[in-house]
This record gives sequence, structure tokens and C-alpha cells, in this order.
Amino acid sequence: MARIKVPIGPQHPALKEPESFNLVLEGERIIDAEVKLGYNHRGIEKACESRNITQCIYLIERICGICSHSHSTTFVQAVEEIAGVEPPPRALYIRTIIAELERIHSHLLWLGVAGHEVGFDTLFMYSWRDRETVMDLLALITGNRINYGMNKVGGVRRDIDSEQARLILESIDLLTERTEYYIKVAVNESTLKVRLAGVGKLPRETALSLGAVGPTVRASGIPRDIRKDDPYAAYDQVDFNVITNEYADVFGRTLVRIYELLESYQIIRALIQNLPDGPIAVKAPRKIPAGEAVSRYEAPRGENIHYVRTNGSEFPERVKVRAPTLANLASIREMLKGGFLADFPIVIAAIDPCFSCADRMIRLSGDGKDALWDWERLRNYSIDWYKLRGIDFSNR
Amino acid sequence: MNSQVLADFLANELEAQKVNAVRERRVAAEIPVAKLTEAIEALKEKGLNKISAITGLDLGDGFEVIYHLCNDEGVLLSLKTFLPRENPSVPSVTDLFPGVFLYERELIDLLGIEVEGTPHGRRYPLPDDWPEGEYPLRKDWKGLSKE
Amino acid sequence: MDLVLKLSYMLIFPGFLFLVLYAMACEWVDRKLYARFQNRVGPPWFQPLADFIKLLAKEEIVPEAADKIMFRALPVVALAAVLTSFLYIPVWDITAFHSFPADLVVVFYLLTIPTLAFFLAGWHSTSLFAALGSLRTLTQLFAYEVPLLIVLMGPALLAGTWTISEITAFFVANPGLLAVNLLGFCVALVAIQGKLERVPFDIAEAETEIVGGPFTEFSGRLLAITRLVVDIEMVVLAALISAVFLGGSFGLGPVWGFLLFLLKTLLIVGLLALFKSVVARLRLEQMMKFCWKYLAPVALFQLFINILVKAFLV
Repeated sequence: MARIKVPIGPQHPALKEPESFNLVLEGERIIDAEVKLGYNHRGIEKACESRNITQCIYLIERICGICSHSHSTTFVQAVEEIAGVEPPPRALYIRTIIAELERIHSHLLWLGVAGHEVGFDTLFMYSWRDRETVMDLLALITGNRINYGMNKVGGVRRDIDSEQARLILESIDLLTERTEYYIKVAVNESTLKVRLAGVGKLPRETALSLGAVGPTVRASGIPRDIRKDDPYAAYDQVDFNVITNEYADVFGRTLVRIYELLESYQIIRALIQNLPDGPIAVKAPRKIPAGEAVSRYEAPRGENIHYVRTNGSEFPERVKVRAPTLANLASIREMLKGGFLADFPIVIAAIDPCFSCADRMIRLSGDGKDALWDWERLRNYSIDWYKLRGIDFSNR
Repeated sequence: MNSQVLADFLANELEAQKVNAVRERRVAAEIPVAKLTEAIEALKEKGLNKISAITGLDLGDGFEVIYHLCNDEGVLLSLKTFLPRENPSVPSVTDLFPGVFLYERELIDLLGIEVEGTPHGRRYPLPDDWPEGEYPLRKDWKGLSKE
Repeated sequence: MDLVLKLSYMLIFPGFLFLVLYAMACEWVDRKLYARFQNRVGPPWFQPLADFIKLLAKEEIVPEAADKIMFRALPVVALAAVLTSFLYIPVWDITAFHSFPADLVVVFYLLTIPTLAFFLAGWHSTSLFAALGSLRTLTQLFAYEVPLLIVLMGPALLAGTWTISEITAFFVANPGLLAVNLLGFCVALVAIQGKLERVPFDIAEAETEIVGGPFTEFSGRLLAITRLVVDIEMVVLAALISAVFLGGSFGLGPVWGFLLFLLKTLLIVGLLALFKSVVARLRLEQMMKFCWKYLAPVALFQLFINILVKAFLV
């Protein structure tokens, strides 16, 4: 049979960020895949070298729209280790709560994307609707839906009050119920199952040798989770399970993510109930002494690792970022080989490649002065905008 | 293998210099580039089954390459090696860890360090039409000249 | 006078104009229901018409390497085929506008023309994604066409005729026998979901894999026509299924018969939308397996029941 080469990307409906895959096809079968990356290279590591530590936190937070808190926490942890600053326990708890909320929104987002990639748009719409619950929580606590800006050297910038804690617990109960429903869907819906099971195989040995991370490696039966292996923030204070299974395919990765959601709910409940009193930050020196530190963090997609070296001045000497997706990309080729063209989108999606989503806060400058719009006002504005055009969203 | 055992192993068996158990689960050590492959192979046998990242640094008069190896107990070793300014070169470790080829390509593209034996592939992370001899992460790099 | 009536039947009601508008209405019902099933608000009632007008106003780009004549002509051929096929299907009356012996087979093949036209159009547009989509379209054809033909044979066998009008007339005379073909009705619903290339059988235009399938290179007016063809095909297929399996309008005359026609076609569209919203897209080889391993045997079983009923009861 004749071989054809199909260029997927850099722009393609299945890809949410620019990447290029050249697939060699024999009929519908994928014989080989060539990956070309770097379309999103923004030189952030270099840019950090000409910014002071505080500016770096904000720059690094914007590496990724979805796991922004992962990156800023990883960086801040490294800086704190160099400076010898110990954040107070309450700050660590709040950091962990935000981290888990971020994991929930990321996994729910992934579930929707996975549904869309296999043509199951109903799952996409359902899980993204439920994701709004946690997005609202994050907006409530941090003021932003993404890029929360919660971290600073020595602690966090905002506290969680009792009313917010109550709302978090309420939302978590709702999400638990919804997640149990998704487990039923994933296990029982036969068309979904045939599309996921046996697709994108990554045997245990291959996953180990290629250094895969996160849900990808855990679905191959390897309990690799930084939260357990190398506890940071408040993870040594809570009890949770590392979810693994032996399916080693996309179905396994789906189950790992859904069951991880349930673990995240448990973690958040425990943290909220045991939230210690006290300050949320300690004063950190403006100038960080010379030194180096490696910081690791279990982002929703897997191990995120930052290496920071300082030289005693305001600017860091070197900041090295290794995001989880980069560690998983080596496995993509293995997973694609021998599969069908139709499986390509879901195999790519199953490592959950990172992409940015837009900030909700807009600044309007019209009548001479800047007006900052909050969430409620934006929402009302959009409802009115649609009402003028005959569509009423207000009773939703 | 916890960090103390690892530190002893590095100092006694591999003759690494400046072995330092920085804190719980963090070890740093230095090793000459000639012994690098051998050391990484020995460490892999001791359970450090993953290279989490490879960091390259420009020290001004030379380069430093740090291999971040880790094991299943959460211990992370930063194995450092130093390279001269002229013709910096490290051996590839893709034979031992096939997944690291992207990290090695970063060294090649961003710092201009030669990695001997890394598999051929497309350029990463810089674009295909990036000019020769421009290495953005070197400290003396001031940006591309405007043409 | 007769000619004027005939022309108005063909061009205005229930021919071309009505069919186009009704097809858009059905598209809206489909989209709205799909949205409601997914917990979305859904589009306003005029959305399909607005989309159509917008597409008409857009620039029409024909790929340089494409066969220009084929590329432009094929959507129109597909449109002509679906419009013609509607003339053989009864609307408010028992008899259709035009009827001749064995017109069921003709309608069946007329409804295959859009698929073939899209295959050729995709092939001639020379895009890689369109070519892949075209191949998938053609492969799919072999999966759903056989079960659909077999289940259509069931009612035809019972009524002892291949003429749609006579099949409808037979069921109006013996409404009790409609229940015999319930299984066949379900198989037909699944098969036309494949014929219309909707989830779970939208393999040919799976956007996350091959962008737009055969339609990747279509834009402007040509895209508007292809979309219209798919909409009309849905109405014609719904009307066909309703005439063959549900007794059509039961010959209730222009007002009640017409309302019954609307009710039954909308019911079928609603069932298709429900089906679409609860499943994921299959892979090509999974669809082949499903259609040949499950759908075709069930269709044969239905035919067997019909033979028994025909032998002992009728």
C-alpha cells in the first residue's frame, strides 16, 4: 500500500497549541511520526535573567495558562530554599488548596477536550460546565480565573476566610457527585470505551525508559507522584492515594485523571478542615543571597521542575524550567506508531499538552479614565449584549 | 537509596568532588566530563532511573551542565560537570535514557554545547531559519542583529 | 393550469422552496435539541438561515490544482439529486407527486448520489485532508447502505410492492402491521445516521482528525450548497422512513395529513439528535465491524420476521 505523509499542524483543529506532527500513513495506519516543536518558544528563561525575583514570579506564572500556579509555586519554592525563608503553615495550606483546585480545573478541562477529540461533544459540554464551578471558586479566592498571582516569596498574597471555606466545601460536594457520574460514563459508555481502550499503548518499560511523568506514567502502573515521593507545601500533612492502573492506554489515563479528581476533593476537604491559624506570609529579603536550588512539583500534567541559581544581586543568574509536557513528548512517538489516524488526536490529548487560555479581566479605556471590570459586571454586560440580539441568558 | 547513602556512594565509588547532601532528598556533586557517562550508568544501576532535566549554564569562562537525576524515593541528584569555553562538548546519555534527547537539543540550540552522539532530528527549540552561531542563553548574547 | 400546479408543486410547495425552508427548520431543531441535551442554550430559530446567507456572501475559493468544473458542479448535482428524490415521497397524501413501480429503489439510489458527489468533490479538490475524507466517505457507504436496503425490503415485502405510495397505502389499510417493523425502524435510524455522516458515524468529516473531510476546501456559496444538501437529505430520509415504516400521513388530507407529516419527520430528527448526543465517534474499522456484525444481521432477522408474517398472517 502506498505511504502518504500527512502534515498535522502547526495549525490543526486537534491541536490547541502550535506543534507540528508529520504522520506517515499506510492507509489509516500510522507507520511513523515526526515531531517538530518550539513554535511557542518565548525565551522566558533568558527573559528571567534581566528581571528581578518578584518580576520573575509574574513572568513565570504566565508560562502556561492552565498550570500557572504550578510554575509560580515551583519557582517560589526554589527561591525560598535559597533564601532560607520558611513560609508559615497557613500559607503552605493555602498554596496546596489552590494547587488542588488548579488540578481539578485542569483535569475537568482535559476530560472535555478528550471527549471532543473522540467526537463526544456532550461530555465536552458537561465537563466544561462543571469546570465553571471551580473556576468561579478560583476567581472568588484569588480574583482571577487563571494566573492567580497568589504566590510571593515567603507565603501567599491572599487569605481564605470562613465564608470562602464554606463555599469551597459546598462546591466540592457538588463536584464529587458530578465526578462519580463521569466515572460511570467512562466505564459504561461503550462507544467512548472502544475509542479509548487499547489506544496509544505505552508499556511500563517504555514509560520508564522514556522518563514519562504524571498521569501518563501512572496509567502504565508506575506510582510516580512528586506529592508523595518528594512532598512539598502541605502534602506531607494530608493523606491521599496515588492513583495508578495497568491499562497503559488512553482509557487508563482517563481513569487515572478522573479518580485523581476524587483524591483532590479529599485533599481539599482535609486541608480546609485543618487550616491552621496564623499569618499568611513572612517577610522575605529583597536581595536573595547567592545559591542554587532545584524545586519539584506535581503539576496536573506531571512533574514540573525548576532550577534556580542566584548570584546575590536582584536578578537570578539562571532559571531553568522543565515543564511536564516536554518530558512526555518523547513518549508520543511510541504511542502513535501502529495506531490509526483516527486515534491521533486522542493520543496527543492523552498526555494533556499545555495550552494557554485567555484572561477574563479586560481594561476599557473609553471616556478618558480606565475602568476595571469585575466578573459580575462582565457577566451582566454579556447578558445584555445578547439580550439586544434576542437571546436571553439571564435565567441560567 | 536515601540521600546520605547516595552521597557516600558518589564520594567513595565514583570519586565525585564536592559531594553535598544539600537537604533531605537533595544531593549535589561534581564530576569531570570524562567520567560522566560511566557515572550516570553506575547511578542508573543504583536506582536513579530518570533524568528529570538537564540544565546548561554559561559561567563566563566556561560552561556548566547539570544533570538532574532522580529515583523513586524522591531523591534528586544534581550532577554537575564543567566544560571549557572553546569547543564545549558533552557525551550524549540517550543510550541510557532515550527520553532526554529534547533536553540535549536545548543545550545544542541555546548554549552551543556540542552533544556527541545525540540522535539527529529536527531543530528544537529555535526555528529552522535561526542563524548559525547565535546562542541565546550565553551571557554575552545581545540579541540578533537587525538586518 | 395543470402545468402551473405541477410547477408550483415542484418549485414552491412542497417542492424546492418549502423543502429548503423546512430543511433549515429541521437543522435548527436538530441543533437546538443537541444543545439542550448538552446543557447549552442553543442557536436562535433563524440561525441556519443566517448561516446560509452569510456563506452566500463569503468569498468562494477554488484550489488552484482542483478540477474547477467538477469542483463547482458536484454540489449542484448533489442538490438536484436530493430535490428530485423528494418528489417520489408522499407528503400529505397517500400518493406522491410522482410515482411509478419500484420508485423506492430509485429514491434509494438518488439518495446515494450526494455521497458519491461529495466523494468526487473531495477527491477533485486535491487537498490531502479532503482526499482522506473522500476515501472514508466511500468506505462508509459500504457499511450503512446494505443494512438500510435490507430493512427497506421488509415493509416492501409485506406490502408486496416496491412503490413507496403503495407501501404507505398498505399500512394505512393495515396499521397493526406497523408494529412488525419496529426493529427495522431502529436499524433504519442508525443507518441514516451513517448516511448523513453524523456522530457516531461522522468519520468522514471528523474535524479533529482530518479538518473538514471532503469539504475541507469548500467555501462561500459552494459550502452553503453542500450544507443545504445535507439538511435536505436529512428531511428526505426522515420523510422516507416515515412513509415506509410509520405509515406516512395516513392519508388524512392536506391539513391533518400535513401536520402528521411534520410531526413524524420532526420526531425522527429529534431521535437522530438524541442519538448523536449520547455517543462518541467511532473509528472507520469499528464502524465497519458494527454495521456488518450487528446491524446487517439484525436487518436480516427483521426481514426473516417479515417473511414469516407474510407467509402466515397476511
